[in-house]
Formats: sequence, C-alpha cells, structure tokens
Amino acid sequence: MTSRGTPSRFLRSVLQNGVGRYICQLKRISIIFSKNAQSSLGVREFIEEGVVDYAKKNPGTVVYVSPQSCRIPKIVAEYLNGNVKEEIVTSKTPAQISELLTKLTDQSGLDIIRIRKPFHTDSPSIQGQWHPFTNRPPSVGPIRPQKQDPQ
Amino acid sequence: MIATGSGCAGLWRACSTLLPRHRLLFSAAVRAQSSLSGDLVPRTSVSRPPWPEQPTVVSEEEERRRHAAVVSTVNQRIQRQDFGRLFAVVHFAGRQWKVTNEDLILIENQIEAQCGERIRMEKVLLVGAEDFTLVGRPLLEKELVRVEATVIEKTESWPKVHMRFWKRHRFQRKKIIVQPQTVLRINTIELNPRLT
Repeated sequence: MTSRGTPSRFLRSVLQNGVGRYICQLKRISIIFSKNAQSSLGVREFIEEGVVDYAKKNPGTVVYVSPQSCRIPKIVAEYLNGNVKEEIVTSKTPAQISELLTKLTDQSGLDIIRIRKPFHTDSPSIQGQWHPFTNRPPSVGPIRPQKQDPQ
Repeated sequence: MIATGSGCAGLWRACSTLLPRHRLLFSAAVRAQSSLSGDLVPRTSVSRPPWPEQPTVVSEEEERRRHAAVVSTVNQRIQRQDFGRLFAVVHFAGRQWKVTNEDLILIENQIEAQCGERIRMEKVLLVGAEDFTLVGRPLLEKELVRVEATVIEKTESWPKVHMRFWKRHRFQRKKIIVQPQTVLRINTIELNPRLT
C-alpha cells in the first residue's frame, strides 16, 4: 500500500557530522540483565566474552552493566542528540548481541522513519538554474519576434 | 560539445563563442527536413531553436587552435584554483548522484567500509564549476579528479510493509521489509590541472 500517511523526514545528520571529522553518536549504553534468569543466559555469556572488547574498541561510548532482577533483558542506547533506544535481547546468543551492538553504534540516533529523498544538499545549483537560453551561442544575437510568412 | 584530444574529457561551456556548435544544429535541421513525411518529432515552437540556423564552416586547423585555447584557459583556471564550488556526477551504488561538497547521500545497502572511514568515488562522469564543465566519455580520469566521501551512518530503513491482496480469493500476504542503508557525506571534490 502507499505510505503517504506515515511520518517522514528528510535526510540529515546530527550537527554536520563528518564534515571535519566523524564522531560516533552513541553516548551511553546500559545492558540490563538478570543474574539467574534463563532468558538472560546469552547476555551473561556476552558479558563474560565480549563486553570488554566492545568497550575497548569504542572509547567514546560509556558501557554500563547493571544486573537487576528482571525477566526481560534489554540494551538501552542513548545518543548524543538525546534520543534513547531500547532493544530487547531475550534469549539471544552472544553473536547476535554483539551484532546488535555494532548496529546501535553505527546509527546516529535520528528517528527511523520514512526518508523522503535519498540526498540532501545545501547548495542546490552551482551553474545557475537552467533556462532556454543556457549555453546559447552569443553570435546568434538577441531574440526577435518571428516574421509572419505572407501566405 | 567539443571533445578533447585525450579522449577522456570534454569541455563544455568554456568560451562558448569558440564552440563550433552551429554545424551540429545545422546538420540536425537538415536531417529533420529530409524525412519530412515521417517526422518523429512534430514541428512545434520547441522542436527547433527559435533563431535561424547559421551555417558556418570552420576549418580543421582553426578548430584545433580554438580547442587548444579552451584547454589552456581551463587548465590555467584549475592551476590558480580560480573556480568556485565544484559539483560532480558520480556513479555509485548503481545510480548517478549529483554531488557537491558537504552533501549527504543515502545508499540502499551497506558497504564494507566502517563508520568514519573515508572512501574515494572513482566513477566520476562529470565535474562542473561555475564557468566550465568537464564531461567524461564516459568517465573522467582518476588523476584528473578526486571525489572523497565519509561513511557517517550505517542504519536500517523504516519497516516497509509489502502487502499482496487478491480480492475475492481469500488471499493475502504481508511482508515487512527492513533494508540496510548507509549515509555518506561528500567531503572534497578536487581537480588537478592535467587536462589535455
């Protein structure tokens, strides 16, 4: 079906990211899990194996590991523009969780909604807008009204 | 449309007085008149230019001299970095993008480069400044132009709903598609004075 009614935005980046240098937009990540629930098994394994590597690889991101008595383990990601994103990681394997973490790291925190155009430019025209006399040889001379044929 | 000797770059719009354009127009007009009975394009006010055709004959040597003049002028401009903002048409991810500095581009797939890495776009079809345009046939040389971009985001598209429905047949399928996406930032478009 059509998607006219869905919320939409234009393509943008947070604070001209990437013009001078690139800054990872993920500010803080907290892994909430239970110490003994079955659904947190994969998260516990991931914390044993991969969370230190992840934190070392991303020095710009704060990683919190908070054991709570909860049934649904989740990962809460906070971005530099203030957006907060929650991902539920119930009974996921460590590989899936690390994949999810890289996905959250690579995102910019902007809303994931329909994007109207796949490009954005601040200077839309360099040579000026086209008009019928663009690239017209000046040897032609100015335009005059056409002579009517005497027929 | 004047083509340069190297066979890689064409110059357009530089000193348009020098361009032997009338011949082209003239030949087109002759062709249109010869097939008068089965004209594909109807004769309207826009099918032909509103000014009368002027057949001018330019000798080969004269044409070569004009071409050399245009090339040297453009090369000097490039040497002095005397052009304003550049734009380029690059071929990337199966489509052509008109880009300039500080542009954003959304690719409907993910590329191998990590976030923050710089990539170089090598398929450059056209580079334009305010006063001149270099047109590739079909691509411009790698030494002539350098377009760089940074990967700033690797994300996913919004969940698109793909619904198939066959009326009166009790048939419907719903599929939700999430497409990986990449956002690129164009950093620089550089031009070297290597035009021949």
